[in-house]
This record gives sequence, structure tokens and C-alpha cells, in this order.
Amino acid sequence: MFISKFIAKVIGEKGQWRQYKARAQQLPPSYRTAIQALERYLMYFGMGGDGTAIYADLVDLFEQSAANRTPIRQIVGEDPVEFIETFVRNYPKGQWIIRERERLTHALARAEAEEAKGS
Amino acid sequence: MSKQMTEMLKGTLEGIVLAILSVQPEYGYEITARLREMGFSDIAEGTIYALLVRIEQRGLVVVEKVPSEKGPPRKVYSLNDQGQAYLEEFWQTWRFLNERLDQLQKGGR
Repeated sequence: MFISKFIAKVIGEKGQWRQYKARAQQLPPSYRTAIQALERYLMYFGMGGDGTAIYADLVDLFEQSAANRTPIRQIVGEDPVEFIETFVRNYPKGQWIIRERERLTHALARAEAEEAKGS
Repeated sequence: MSKQMTEMLKGTLEGIVLAILSVQPEYGYEITARLREMGFSDIAEGTIYALLVRIEQRGLVVVEKVPSEKGPPRKVYSLNDQGQAYLEEFWQTWRFLNERLDQLQKGGR
């Protein structure tokens, strides 16, 4: 039961990922270049290739923008790094950074407790 | 739009978008167009999109997918009760901030 659930999840995620890749491939060349660059950045961010909603949402945005003929610069703004980092903050799932944030928060709370004991 | 304007807008954009949605349901592209009309000329489409994703996840809006003649279906966003309450809070915060800054500018305390 647990195993089959796990397998279904992994296959589901792979399917979502393939779907994303196929949709990205269908975009006009300039939009495809842009989304592939963002995808690469996300890989380094630790969100590569899994089934998180972020890729589906990204490709939604680019498909819509292509349909409206919105220029690339008007989609991502002057600072693409800022754009993608703001965007990524909406998707905490599966991010190593979340664990690190919790660790930092706990460590500081511990330091505070030690301080209270010491005085 | 100046760098300073962009920075200041960051903190208020959520409230601005909720305020736009409180008038009537809209989809992303319309919201950006409305902001441009208001003089926020170079707001990125993606900035608004990311913001809409966020307020959807926080349960402030209701989303309806509406088929469109060109391209994929559009997501139409409308404010729910929780969003309305959040917007009220935003205006309160805004009034407070506005008052204090006004006082500062006039040299009072």
C-alpha cells in the first residue's frame, strides 16, 4: 500500500515533468530560450526535474504570454534573477533551503534560551 | 519607473492587486494592463503572475478557468471573504503608514 503509493507518486511526478518538457518545446523559440534558462537556474536552486507545480505554473505563464505576444522583457522584468527568486518562494515543497531555514530558526531560539539561562 | 519606485511598490503590490480584484474579477493580463493605465508602466507580467500564484495559495482568491479563443484557458481571479478581510487590513496599515510619513514630511512628530 505504502510502496504502491510511493511508486504512483514518482511516476506521477515523472509524467508531470514530461508534460512540462513537451509544452516548453512547443513554445516559440524566444519563449523557449527564456523558459529553458529559468529551468536551468531552478536546477541549481535545488528544484530540478521534479513534479512540483512550479514548472506547470511557469509554462502556463509563458504559453499565455506567447498567445498575447507579450515581449520576454515584459514577462520577466528588468531583473530575471529577482523574478525567479520571488517566484520560487511560492513553492516551499521539496526545497533543501526550507530545512536550512528551520535549522537556523531553531539554532537562534536555542541561543536565546542559553542566554536566558546564563544571566 | 525608477528603482526607488520599484522597491517601494514591492511592499504594496499585493494590496494594490487585491484592491483591483475587489472591484471585479480579472485575469492576470488584465491586471497588468490596468496597472499600466494607472502609470505603473514597467511592471512585469511575471511579477503579477507570481503574486497571483501566492495569493491563490494563501486562499485569498477564488480561481476559475475560462476557455479563451487564443491560447490556453485563462485563470480568472476573484476576491473571497478572506481576501476581503486581508484587503481591509492592508488599507488600515496603509493609512497608518501614510499618516506617519505625512507627519514626517511636515516636520512634525
